Amino acid sequence: MTEVAANNISLSWYEASARQRIDALVDSGSFAEFIGPELREMSPHLAIFDLPEQFDDGIVVGRGRLDGSPVLVATQEGRFMGGAFGEIHGAKLTGLLRAALALKQDILILFDTGGVRLQEANAGELAIAEIMRAIIEARCAGLNVVGLIGGRAGCYGGGSLIAGTCSRLIISEQGRLSVSGPEVIETNKGIEEFDSRDRALVWRTMGGKHRYLIGGADAFVDDEALAFRGAAIDALRDGRRCDMAVLEAEQARLERRLQRFGEAEDAVDIWRTLGIADPSDVPALPTGAFLRAANDRENADDAR
Amino acid sequence: MSDWGMQKAALGERLAAGRQHARGKVVPIPSLGAFLTAVIRSGDRVCLEGDNQKQADILASALANLDPQDVHDLHMVQSGVVLPSHLDIFEKGIARRLDFSYSGPQAARIAKMLFGRKIELGAVHTYLELFARYFIDLTPNVALIAAVSADKDGNLYTGPNTEDTPTVVEATSYKNGLVVAQVTEIVDKVPRVDIPGDLVHFVVEAGRPFYVEPLFTRDPAAITETQILTAMLAIKGIYAPYGVRRLNHGIGFNTAAIELLLPTYGEKLGLKGKVCTHFALNPHPTMIPAIESGWVEQIHCFGSEVGMEDYVAARSDVFFTGPDGSLRSNRAFCQTAGLYACDMFIGSTLQIDLEGHSSTVTTSRIAGFGGAPNMGSDPRGRRHPSEPWLKAGAEAAPDADAALRRGRKLVVQIGETFGDRNAPLFVERLDALELARALKLDLAPVMVYSDDVTHIVTEEGIANLLMCRSKDEREQAIRGVAGYTEIGRARDAKLVEQLRQRGVIRRPEDLGIDPLDADRRLLAARSIKDLMLASGGLYRPPSRFRNW
Repeated sequence: MTEVAANNISLSWYEASARQRIDALVDSGSFAEFIGPELREMSPHLAIFDLPEQFDDGIVVGRGRLDGSPVLVATQEGRFMGGAFGEIHGAKLTGLLRAALALKQDILILFDTGGVRLQEANAGELAIAEIMRAIIEARCAGLNVVGLIGGRAGCYGGGSLIAGTCSRLIISEQGRLSVSGPEVIETNKGIEEFDSRDRALVWRTMGGKHRYLIGGADAFVDDEALAFRGAAIDALRDGRRCDMAVLEAEQARLERRLQRFGEAEDAVDIWRTLGIADPSDVPALPTGAFLRAANDRENADDAR
Repeated sequence: MSDWGMQKAALGERLAAGRQHARGKVVPIPSLGAFLTAVIRSGDRVCLEGDNQKQADILASALANLDPQDVHDLHMVQSGVVLPSHLDIFEKGIARRLDFSYSGPQAARIAKMLFGRKIELGAVHTYLELFARYFIDLTPNVALIAAVSADKDGNLYTGPNTEDTPTVVEATSYKNGLVVAQVTEIVDKVPRVDIPGDLVHFVVEAGRPFYVEPLFTRDPAAITETQILTAMLAIKGIYAPYGVRRLNHGIGFNTAAIELLLPTYGEKLGLKGKVCTHFALNPHPTMIPAIESGWVEQIHCFGSEVGMEDYVAARSDVFFTGPDGSLRSNRAFCQTAGLYACDMFIGSTLQIDLEGHSSTVTTSRIAGFGGAPNMGSDPRGRRHPSEPWLKAGAEAAPDADAALRRGRKLVVQIGETFGDRNAPLFVERLDALELARALKLDLAPVMVYSDDVTHIVTEEGIANLLMCRSKDEREQAIRGVAGYTEIGRARDAKLVEQLRQRGVIRRPEDLGIDPLDADRRLLAARSIKDLMLASGGLYRPPSRFRNW
């Protein structure tokens, strides 16, 4: 690593803003933004609802270097409308993925999203579909699409579907990955099914540790920019294929997971089935001890 | 000639009636309804123990399940109207009249029932005021209280959440009233005697702990940068210049931010040992980093806080603990301590008017007072001097004879100009006035009166009301920190600037504070987990606060 490439910014990923995360993730000073806030590409819908807009529509896209290698990066700002996907927000990511295919460069997506923006739902849903298609096309061309999950808004709804198509996912304990959010489940299925105010329940069901244990994420890291950076460098090193064999392996893995854990009432039951000695202690374990306890986790195999 | 001893005789009758349903002092749960019907008389004054924290919940639901044919027209005198059953008692016609202090979670329903004339309201009190009336004109005939354990003689262990119990028992039992306690379990020997058994007439074994609300837990993850800015202003602009060592913090994110800035920002300002050394305060989890870094010498508590029990027990150098090791809290003593032995109260509120009156009442909610008006008032009976008290007194009356000049307690209201759901903190007219008119109350429910408040802190700066010399100056000082609210925008810019020149209003830049420095990275803990780690694992947060 050259002197210029080093980046020693230490900060809480969960706490950081989208721009702070980019600065800490890529090699020092290497980031150049596309369609920056000075161009004022804002949502055409929010004004109708008298809602505040943001000059970058809550997502920063651009290029930089990671450990010397060129990468494209997209990072969502969870503090603007919960990082939700709208028309412009989605189009910026779709465009970046298409650029990746043209430039043959790997992509990092820093998720921090509650899903689709309700105020521009149709455009947002279309964007999710376009993004997933663009990711598959990039992966089929042999590119890595790495998702990083550890922001305050988590990775929910359409964001979680996009995450499901990435070649690798890196997650922290604070990160949450789920299609439906806690409040949505409670509203639809009742508080007996899921008490969204029970935060320990939320985290053991959707949080980073559980997702890592059941093979829903590939790497588990501390809530620390340096750890995310290290894991992203590693993730780009081993390339992933995306062909019929991989997809079939993934299908088989998901079927096995359902068979093995389908009857479980709670995440702790799953951890016990995985053979973890003191499953109820899992939430309290520090990273090192957790990774040791997670030795027999469900594997992500070659598929994701 | 009077027939003396009638109250003793009446108590004897109640005891005899109660013993029909008890074995010794112990009332079995299945007999609880019949027992209460036997010992409570219609028209009794009843204290059902419960405040903003602990609740005699089993006794509350048993009382609510009585038949209003048998027991009716009760006069409830109690700190908190908090559980749904507390209001069911009125809904069913078991009780009619109410004197209380706090009603947080039932604020909307109690307002509705008052409008619907389901409740005949005596008054809304502060805690200390209601306690005082227990000994003068609101002495209970029956007290239904809560404890952790009892022995067969009725000696009670109240554990860390002792709170109101000694006061309620003192007022009831020594005035020929009947005391019934619910306890988690009956044991051979209680860990410590908080209430002597001869003051307790009957005991009910509930089989589970009484309910406690974790009211004082604030998740650092939810503290905003604006709140951090207000906290920086308070520390540098008030704590430091007055040298406030003895104080009380209200509940809220602004004061939680102050607590979490002490070991970082406060340390940088060199304030350790000079401010915040003694508190009248519940064991706030957000105090852990300040305690662990040696800021705090002593804390006396109104009550405990869920999850803090082991931490408090392990820090007996700071907290008051019993021979059994656990916290001893006492609301009446701590309220007195906050009133007479603290130099400052700082807390947030919902509405402040142009004179500086503040209130947490909105037209559809009556949350009561709790302890804040007592904490947030200048005690006229205080006689001992201290540096902050004298300095505040001098600012209020610079020309008076120093030896004859009263000091002033610092009473600080802190908040953002726009609060929850963008409701403006500053209003032309308090909603409390509208409520008082609608309910035909003699007094509007005002939390802190204008003549008690000394400072208002918002992200716009600090208004020092002690230095205002006229009603007009006071109004402009308040408008001057009201930002972009309607009140703030109607300020007289010239007069506000003059007040700023005189130091009545101080902006962040006047104090050398750059608002861009108000960053969450300044917080000594940024999550509940950080607090747990800072406590060395001794703090065990309730599940609903854990994000791991």
